[in-house]
Amino acid sequence: MPQYSIGIDLGTTNSALAYAEIGETSSVHQFSISQLTNPGEIGALDLLPSFLYIPGEREFVEGSLALPWQANPPYVIGRMARQRGVENANRLVSSAKSWLSNQFADPTQPLLPLAAPEGVPKVSPLEASRQFLEHLKLAWENANPDSKFVDQSVLITVPASFDAAARQLTQRAAEMAGYPEVTILEEPQAAFYAWIERHPDWREQVHPGDLILVVDIGGGTTDFTLISVTEKAGELQLERVAVGQHLLLGGDNMDLAVARFAEQQFAQKNVKLDALQFHSLWQQCRAAKEVLLASDENAPADQPLTILGRGTGLVGGTIRGKISRDDVRTLLLDGFFPVVAVDAMPQKQRRIALTEVGLNYASDPAVTKHLARFLALAGNARPTHVLLNGGVLQAGAIEHRIFEVLNSWLDAPAKELRSNAKESDLMHAVARGAAYYGLAKHGNGVRIRGGVPRTYYVGIESTMPAVPGLPAPMKALTVVPFGLEEGSKVQLPQRRFALIVGEPAEFRFFSSVSRKHDEPGFLIEEIGDDIEELAPIEVSLPAREGSPEQVVPVTLETNVTETGMLELWCVATDGRRWKLEFNVRERAAA
Amino acid sequence: MSRISSAFRSFFAILFSGTLPEDIAVEFGYAKPAPPPVAPEPPKIKPADGALQMLQILQRDSRLIDFLMEDIASYSDDQIGAAVRSLHADCRASLTRHVTLEAMLDGVEGTYQKLDSSKAPDPNRVKLIGNVPASGKVPGGTLRHRGWSASSVNLPPLGKQDPTAISPAEIEVD
Repeated sequence: MPQYSIGIDLGTTNSALAYAEIGETSSVHQFSISQLTNPGEIGALDLLPSFLYIPGEREFVEGSLALPWQANPPYVIGRMARQRGVENANRLVSSAKSWLSNQFADPTQPLLPLAAPEGVPKVSPLEASRQFLEHLKLAWENANPDSKFVDQSVLITVPASFDAAARQLTQRAAEMAGYPEVTILEEPQAAFYAWIERHPDWREQVHPGDLILVVDIGGGTTDFTLISVTEKAGELQLERVAVGQHLLLGGDNMDLAVARFAEQQFAQKNVKLDALQFHSLWQQCRAAKEVLLASDENAPADQPLTILGRGTGLVGGTIRGKISRDDVRTLLLDGFFPVVAVDAMPQKQRRIALTEVGLNYASDPAVTKHLARFLALAGNARPTHVLLNGGVLQAGAIEHRIFEVLNSWLDAPAKELRSNAKESDLMHAVARGAAYYGLAKHGNGVRIRGGVPRTYYVGIESTMPAVPGLPAPMKALTVVPFGLEEGSKVQLPQRRFALIVGEPAEFRFFSSVSRKHDEPGFLIEEIGDDIEELAPIEVSLPAREGSPEQVVPVTLETNVTETGMLELWCVATDGRRWKLEFNVRERAAA
Repeated sequence: MSRISSAFRSFFAILFSGTLPEDIAVEFGYAKPAPPPVAPEPPKIKPADGALQMLQILQRDSRLIDFLMEDIASYSDDQIGAAVRSLHADCRASLTRHVTLEAMLDGVEGTYQKLDSSKAPDPNRVKLIGNVPASGKVPGGTLRHRGWSASSVNLPPLGKQDPTAISPAEIEVD
């Protein structure tokens, strides 16, 4: 039996680790992560910035990158990586997590940093994720030499909107980092667990029939989840009933929008900022935003911004500016959280040219429109309670605006589930909740039922007479029903596929977050907008020695492991089984 | 070693080269054996290194040296104020991270502060000013300044960093 439950929030911009001793009276603690803060200087911080810097050969004084557990690390990770990356962005890997779910590039290939000059050894998004996870593991073992990481119960959170391939890549990164078999948990659920952990009386705050909306605004992603409260044999039960689509839009985008606006104002005074000065401006705008958007009425009308001179002339080169409350309100509240009607829809995603490799950022920054769409797709859901999470909500006016918009859609205002320790929790709740869930798995706590948050399909070409120049239309066969729970499996004996031995067979793979009632085996004649194509999946059947067989008839089987991983298998009539793998290599051509 | 061969070798060595062969000199106590090779000593930490390192840190985190070395006579108070406000926050954060500072006497400035009148106070901790009796023993007085004491200093190991390099020059490559 493991001694600790360890929850890891592998974030787009910051990672965190929380832990709890498994036992009767367990409480969750935040782990302070040792990392380089400056050359030669180690500090233990609450967060590990998810940044990786590839140092040049003579860039730092010899030995100044040493970690307590490694004399010559190949990369700089964490706070110092982020700092140095401001001065030398071409060697900085950031937002690696967002690349794991990228449809247009293979996350196992060395892609990052995108703009690295010739000669800089690039790393893959997968490798970067592994480096962050490995750093957390080694920092843990350095602080707790008596409790080896592999012996603990480890949970890693992912956005609820991560598809099966992105979840599997996260698991693979953990495997490469020398983790034990990890459990994957969705971030909004983890945020909700953190709330439960803070409120032992939670059963008095929610009731059967309630519907809880979790809005998790991370640094780089925004995630929506609905959890319904039901009753079974007198016990309250929680079930995750819907998750939103992948939305690459988070708190960092909001801070950046304010900083870009401020930069424009400096530009009007003919002041051009370099990368370091802009970074300083960005930090100042982040802090100014929190002051200007504080919920109390006494928030000041503006905040000063100071850009110090470069070079040794500090006072002489100092440029002053300011940013007003009205500007920030316009930029953030009206830009990202506009007041919209319940039937608002975000602007359609532009189709990105296949030759362009980059992140697929949300094309409409209006979070409230995405929220309206999410609730509409979830069957016009009307939540009764709301839990908000994410560092950007430290600006009270944003929280206020979300409620204002949401309540205008509802008959009765939604209640806020507030954490007792709100300020600090906004940045740490996900890791805390994951550690708490680990306890629940060992019998000390409540679990949210949920299962797979999507319906999955394989593509089947119709056997229509070929029309020259037109590909045969695709149909979609349901293979995984929405909500398939951990530890269960689904077989499709009625449909056989003939696979040729010795050649990789490929299936096109689709999913939907909104079609919740397609039963396994159900065939969709026409693939509509509510279904998106994922990376293809493939399987290779090795030839059996001495056997003349050329073609093997197989049926499909799906199961969801206890750790929440989706697996697809081909099963032959004689019982032989082959696992289908996500073919991330083919994504670029998808 | 036979005594005859040693005697001969010594005789001829002194006759032709003026010194005893090394092995014989050691054997008969005329010379000390060469010390076994020792590992090169780690670089000595000189007393000034910690001070230089502190300057390095304050410059890096808050650009304090830039500020102190700049001629600010011609700038307006507004301009200086804007720069200092930003520098002050960084400098203070950096200083408190590496040095724990406490008041020498935890009293309210401007009010009466009792002292131990049985002996003159430790001059490291208390400086008496004004109408001080010859014995230096006083029951107390008005606290004019609480004083400062560094209760702990926490500087990272220097390693191979050159402590005199307060701040490297920066070259931006286009």
